Amino acid sequence: MSEIRSAPMPPPDKEPLIRLESVHKWFGDNHVLRGIDVSLEPGEVEVIIGPSGGGKSTLLRCANLLERPTLGKVWFMNEDITDIRCDLNAVRTKMGMVFQQFNLFPHMTALGNITVALEKVLRLNDAEARDRAMEQLRHVGLEHKADSYPGQLSGGQQQRVAIARALAMTPRLMLFDEVTSALDPELVGEVLGVMRQLAEEGMTMMVVTHEMGFAREVGTWMVFVDGGVIAERGRPKEMFANPQTDRLRQFFSRVL
Amino acid sequence: MSEVTLDTRPVVREAPPDTRGPTSPQSLTALWLGIGSIAAVLGGTIALTLNYGLSPRVLTPACIDLQLTPEIRGALGVCNFVEAIRSSAETAVLLIGIALGVVAMAFGWSIRGRMDTFRRREQAITGAILGVQGVLIALVILAFREGRPDLFAKNFLNFTVIGPYFPGPFFSAIKNTIILAFVGEAGGIVIGLLLAVLSLSKRRAARAPARAYINFFRGTPLIWQLATGYFVLLLGFGIRPNTFFLAMGIFALNTAAYAAEVFRAGIQSIERGQIEAARSLGMTYFQAMRFAVVPQAVRRVIPPLMNEFVILIKDTALVVVLGLSASQYELFAWARAGQSDTFNATFFTAAALGYLVVTLPLIRLVNAVERRLRSGLVGIAGATA
Repeated sequence: MSEIRSAPMPPPDKEPLIRLESVHKWFGDNHVLRGIDVSLEPGEVEVIIGPSGGGKSTLLRCANLLERPTLGKVWFMNEDITDIRCDLNAVRTKMGMVFQQFNLFPHMTALGNITVALEKVLRLNDAEARDRAMEQLRHVGLEHKADSYPGQLSGGQQQRVAIARALAMTPRLMLFDEVTSALDPELVGEVLGVMRQLAEEGMTMMVVTHEMGFAREVGTWMVFVDGGVIAERGRPKEMFANPQTDRLRQFFSRVL
Repeated sequence: MSEVTLDTRPVVREAPPDTRGPTSPQSLTALWLGIGSIAAVLGGTIALTLNYGLSPRVLTPACIDLQLTPEIRGALGVCNFVEAIRSSAETAVLLIGIALGVVAMAFGWSIRGRMDTFRRREQAITGAILGVQGVLIALVILAFREGRPDLFAKNFLNFTVIGPYFPGPFFSAIKNTIILAFVGEAGGIVIGLLLAVLSLSKRRAARAPARAYINFFRGTPLIWQLATGYFVLLLGFGIRPNTFFLAMGIFALNTAAYAAEVFRAGIQSIERGQIEAARSLGMTYFQAMRFAVVPQAVRRVIPPLMNEFVILIKDTALVVVLGLSASQYELFAWARAGQSDTFNATFFTAAALGYLVVTLPLIRLVNAVERRLRSGLVGIAGATA
């Protein structure tokens, strides 16, 4: 058995916070990810761009194992979280995720959406959970909406609550899955503003997005995912100025 | 520049030819014909019956010929009804109703296309519809008179025989019906939710027993379950069950199978993103179900579960196969006991009224809740918060 399980990777020069190691994912016969390697150090922002159906969202969902990679490993805080013995629920408290469709719990208030995991997962008492939740709502500028239900909030406000909900768990890494794609154009700015502020505060982030301006200004790294592989990786400004591959050039010509 | 002048002559547009055909002003006539047809048939029949019932009378020779003798309890009331329904006045009323109805149908339907407002068109069509209804009801009453309405009325509409069994035993029966159905439904909901969660497991070992249970209880008749359940306890386990409590238990087990399917559909109707969001916050699968999915699913399944409750209220009638003691009688057992004492089936008519007294308000409540749930998630959340 021991030969089959590969030996732990030698420690790299700087400790990455998260590292995806030749990750493959099949959905039935559909080979969605075909060997993805990504590594991110604390404080870095990785922007993931690419055509739809290229595997961007699957890549992100493999990072917190909402989708389990068919092959390959995911290392997070020096732990192989693809190991079946790993306590994924504990790992996920350190890895926040924000979704395209917000996925707020519609039967709870904005405050309740945030406190439920603080109380049930982190086992904080009511007062602590409430304080922490209000602090995060203040962070995203929505403390006055604490008692509103998601259905009473605009899309942009809902998405900011969703960000506050993830941040309240004090994650080390934040995953953003096309979080502005479901928003009306005039609401995109308020959500991107919160994310920009978060990046400036030093949060490590993986961001799947179609907002090229945001990618250029906020990204530490940018990867271009197409056909289930990373077709190109680099500094965003260099990639925008000087795309190396035809595929990326074509992609830019369509979206810019 | 001077050659540009504004043409100030008034624009004369010719009105396009009116191709709509003549409009007919007679929509109200059609409506009133239809109303008249219904009024003649229903109103006339009711008025005649009341007239015969309320005016002082004695048993007619015709009634005595039909073995409605003065010794029979309620004979006069039955006789009055039979006389009314067979009177020549009733014949006239029915024929008038049919005539009005036929005219309303033909007239309303033929003029509907020539109305110039929606309101008038609706009046014409409504008149035709009422005409159809008037004619159909009149025909049914006419056909009913051709049989033995006397015997029917004697056996099913003789409410005086119920006297000694009303109101105490009757309302006790209604109470027992509600207790049986309510306990059955409550137990069924608890077991059903558990079964639903099991049947949604990705593990076949957990899923299979739940599916087998659900299929068995949905696939066999409730009356078989009641009868066999009794003997399973009596002969298998050596326990002589109290039939009332046994019935509650069987109703709960049976309802659980249906409630499980309702819950399963409700849980599956919650978007995948809800459970993903909960899991991404570090919740376990069961925490995600408990705090995120099930509370939403429960709201969605309230109307179908209430419908199950209405169905169960009627199915409680099946406990007659077990035999109950008099204080445990529910409506159907009450009716059967009364009928076997008096040889009169009017008890079953009364039982039907008893069921309606319970189910009609519930049906209204279900509809109100459904409307409320459809009006949006905010309302639901606000309603229970």
